[in-house]
Amino acid sequence: MQSRQTDIVIIGGGGAGLRAAIAAAEANPSLHITLVSKVYPMRSHTVAAEGGCAGVVQDHDSTQDHFEDTVSGGDWLCDQDVVEYFVEHATEENLQLEHWGCPWSRKPSGHVNVRAFGGMRTERTWFAADKSGFHILHTLFQTSLKYPSIHRCDEFFCTDLLVEAGRCAGVQAIEMRTGDHVLISAKAVIIATGGAARVYRHNTNGGIVTGDGMAMAYRQGVPLRDMEFVQYHPTGLPGSGILITEAARGEGGVLTNRDGYRYLQDYGLGPETPPGSPKNKTMELGPRDKVSQAFWHEMQKGRLVETDQGDAVNLDLRHLGEKRINERLPFIRSLAQTYAGVDPVTAPIPVRPAAHYTMGGIQTDSRTQTRLPGLFAAGECASVGLHGANRLGSNSLAELSVFGRVAGEQAAQFAAQADLVSAAALEAQAAEHCSRWEALRTANGPERTSEIRDAMVNIMDRCIGIYRNEPDMRSAGEELAELKLRYREIGLADDSRAFNTEWLYAIELGFLLDVAEAMTHAALARRESRGSHQRADDYPDRDDTRFLKHSLASVERANPESAPTIDWQDVVITRSPPAVRRYGGQDTSLKEVS
Amino acid sequence: MAEPYVKRQPAGWWLKNPAYRRYMLREATALPLFAYTLLLITGVYRLSQGEEAFTQWLVMLRSPWCVTLHVVALAAALLHAWTWLQLVPKILVVHTNRLRVSGTLIKRVHQLGALLGSVGLVVLAWLFLAQGGS
Amino acid sequence: MSQTIRIQLERYRPEEDSEPWQQTVEVPYHRDTSVLDALNYIKDHVDPSLSYRWSCRMAICGSCGVMINDEPRLGCKTFLREYLDAGELRVRAMDNFPIERDLIADIGGLVGHIESVDPFLIVDAERPLSEGENLQTPLQLERYEAFSECINCGLCYAACPQFGRNPQFLGPAAITLAQRYNLDSRDDGTPRRLAYLNAEEGVWSCTFVGYCSEVCPKAVDPAAAINQGKVSSTLDFVQRRAVDPVSTEDG
Repeated sequence: MQSRQTDIVIIGGGGAGLRAAIAAAEANPSLHITLVSKVYPMRSHTVAAEGGCAGVVQDHDSTQDHFEDTVSGGDWLCDQDVVEYFVEHATEENLQLEHWGCPWSRKPSGHVNVRAFGGMRTERTWFAADKSGFHILHTLFQTSLKYPSIHRCDEFFCTDLLVEAGRCAGVQAIEMRTGDHVLISAKAVIIATGGAARVYRHNTNGGIVTGDGMAMAYRQGVPLRDMEFVQYHPTGLPGSGILITEAARGEGGVLTNRDGYRYLQDYGLGPETPPGSPKNKTMELGPRDKVSQAFWHEMQKGRLVETDQGDAVNLDLRHLGEKRINERLPFIRSLAQTYAGVDPVTAPIPVRPAAHYTMGGIQTDSRTQTRLPGLFAAGECASVGLHGANRLGSNSLAELSVFGRVAGEQAAQFAAQADLVSAAALEAQAAEHCSRWEALRTANGPERTSEIRDAMVNIMDRCIGIYRNEPDMRSAGEELAELKLRYREIGLADDSRAFNTEWLYAIELGFLLDVAEAMTHAALARRESRGSHQRADDYPDRDDTRFLKHSLASVERANPESAPTIDWQDVVITRSPPAVRRYGGQDTSLKEVS
Repeated sequence: MAEPYVKRQPAGWWLKNPAYRRYMLREATALPLFAYTLLLITGVYRLSQGEEAFTQWLVMLRSPWCVTLHVVALAAALLHAWTWLQLVPKILVVHTNRLRVSGTLIKRVHQLGALLGSVGLVVLAWLFLAQGGS
Repeated sequence: MSQTIRIQLERYRPEEDSEPWQQTVEVPYHRDTSVLDALNYIKDHVDPSLSYRWSCRMAICGSCGVMINDEPRLGCKTFLREYLDAGELRVRAMDNFPIERDLIADIGGLVGHIESVDPFLIVDAERPLSEGENLQTPLQLERYEAFSECINCGLCYAACPQFGRNPQFLGPAAITLAQRYNLDSRDDGTPRRLAYLNAEEGVWSCTFVGYCSEVCPKAVDPAAAINQGKVSSTLDFVQRRAVDPVSTEDG
């Protein structure tokens, strides 16, 4: 086993990881920073974000409005101190990206342009055409090259956190090229591994989004918070789940059912707005949870459009015209042509909801510190308390920068005053992990990785979807426990070391099963309906007396195989007491999109 | 330790792919043009040797292989000019803070220039011949 | 799904094989099946030992570049239906790179070249964030926008015979990225980057084969970037010679 030493190790080279690395390098240039990623950083799934990145910039907008939209969008489960910090710092982070070269789309005057987004009462979504995540990721990656103290380990697959004397003291990884195990001891560790929507079959995520960091922290006893809140993006392509950005609706696209009817008006988002003249927080610009739930109701009513790849609704952009589509949504046009065989200039795009984003994640405080000293988390893998029960579109890209930076600075501060745990102290546990992974590589049981994975994603699609009920969730819990037993009987056909992806997929499957279980048990425990967690049959209403609380799913370090126990943590309320979420005609403060 | 496998570029790398063959053809247009240049230099040299030598050279120009060389050289020159005109808008970009000229316009202007230049040369040669003949 | 198509895969497992070998697999065909879907099918149902890179499935992460019937293509953006007439599909790792394993090319050289051209905004006088954004009109943005859309997939390197001949050549993506910043109205770093572009392994190793632009899945047109780089490099040479004829003697 190779052994390395560093001051800060960052797991994950996406938006949050890169922003954290740069922040740490700027905060303290003398620190040695190691950025570990299982893919080259520009492959990270930040790359697929399309619509844009929130930040108040218009004169008639305010951070108070952004705060209120985020808190009500999150169905009052957001920690409001965190939201306050976020809205105050989102714009400066977007500006920072601009100063680093991000090609934000511009107004004729040369100022940065903003577009409308779901659940936002004012246009405040900065965008780079419809490849905002791509440009943010590449800008951050390229900018990170300026800092000599950032050392990358590309295509190193992290398997474990190393914990010694109650402190996170490093990570263990597999160098994918060789299959060698690597022990990296560090004074501080930041997890920035993104989400876990790959626990679902129909999802918008890349193959790498397998909840690695969440599971690694969870196995060390760090709770996963609010895992029952999984966002279904309303507009994925049927079959593949490929993401069609919310900006398509922000620019004026409309959703219609089989009868050509703008069905969102039936679900508290109306009154209907003229096509091409979107109104903020109304109809197609409702929040994602409500728009996806409306699809589910249309499905119950049998009003969907049949396609080769399953039932869908139509996303109609034709009235925008070719020029505007090419200017604002060129990637969407190309995606629809390539993956749905449809040119949105001449025909509507068939879409349906797809699992997209985990609102929950590794529990951190408002400054990204987990309860394990020396361990920080930022981005989608973390639950800093920003998104509550439903994230607003374009808040997650802003989150990467705002809390990626905080994590980098906090870790730098921590590392400056901490000592390295001696490698010798870590070697024993590293050897233990090592033999576990080696046993998996050479395992010859009867079970196949791909079969267990297929079973898992089908369970999650069926039972932990847009609407949930007790019997389905119970059965999901039991079936997942059974899959975990089967996972122990796994066998690999390939016992080689170099780029053995069968081995790596098997490790990822273990991570996914843990995350799926945490989601399921947290969902069972939350006996109310809030945001993206809806229980129409038994608990159709929000219950603030019992469940204005974050759920915490955790397992004991000594027994990470067991099912999680669920605890509760109070939500931080500062200036906005829980109230009714109002959209469309119910919200009297709305203006038309200019 | 296992090592990556390094393939060497085969000598016939350009044979398999039509894009490479087109590229090699474009580059190969230099060969007939080179031969044609040699022919013209020979003409000048023969002229320096006196009228008889030059007349012999003129007679040689009428030989079938020499006519063939002319045809091939003309075809090569036209092909090269055509590929050049295709590539011009990629290389020559007029794009300032206030003004952007489309690639198509740049290409058209070049095509027009090539056409006018060619016609001009033919007219000049014709005038010259007409004068010399009188 | 009763119809199938035959796929020939070039395999190389560094621990066991001294050179690549061919494996033939039948894969069920559907109108929407991409080559990446086919590889995933093979991995799950035929041979779990096949290794390849992939992630986003939507032609933006740049992971799944391979040679398909001798052409550099993204697996996720190439569909089996395009090869029904050909009858067979041959897939191998990207040309011009060492093969790590199976369809995985060692792209360390490409990433190294990208890192080497100072691909970030260089400004003479930093402005504080409090002064707001740098102004940039849509026309100024358009000047470099296409060159900023490179996903670093490496297909252009697999398409470039000059890179195949000499891996030290900076190559299409790295030069395009340098040009992306050189053409950005906010950037002052051109003199620094010209040092790399002017060098033997910079723009002048390009002979304008142009195939890089043909295979680019994002219409970035790297051949245009490189050849505009030649114009800049020439102007730079002339300017420096005019200003200071002696110091430019050695190029």
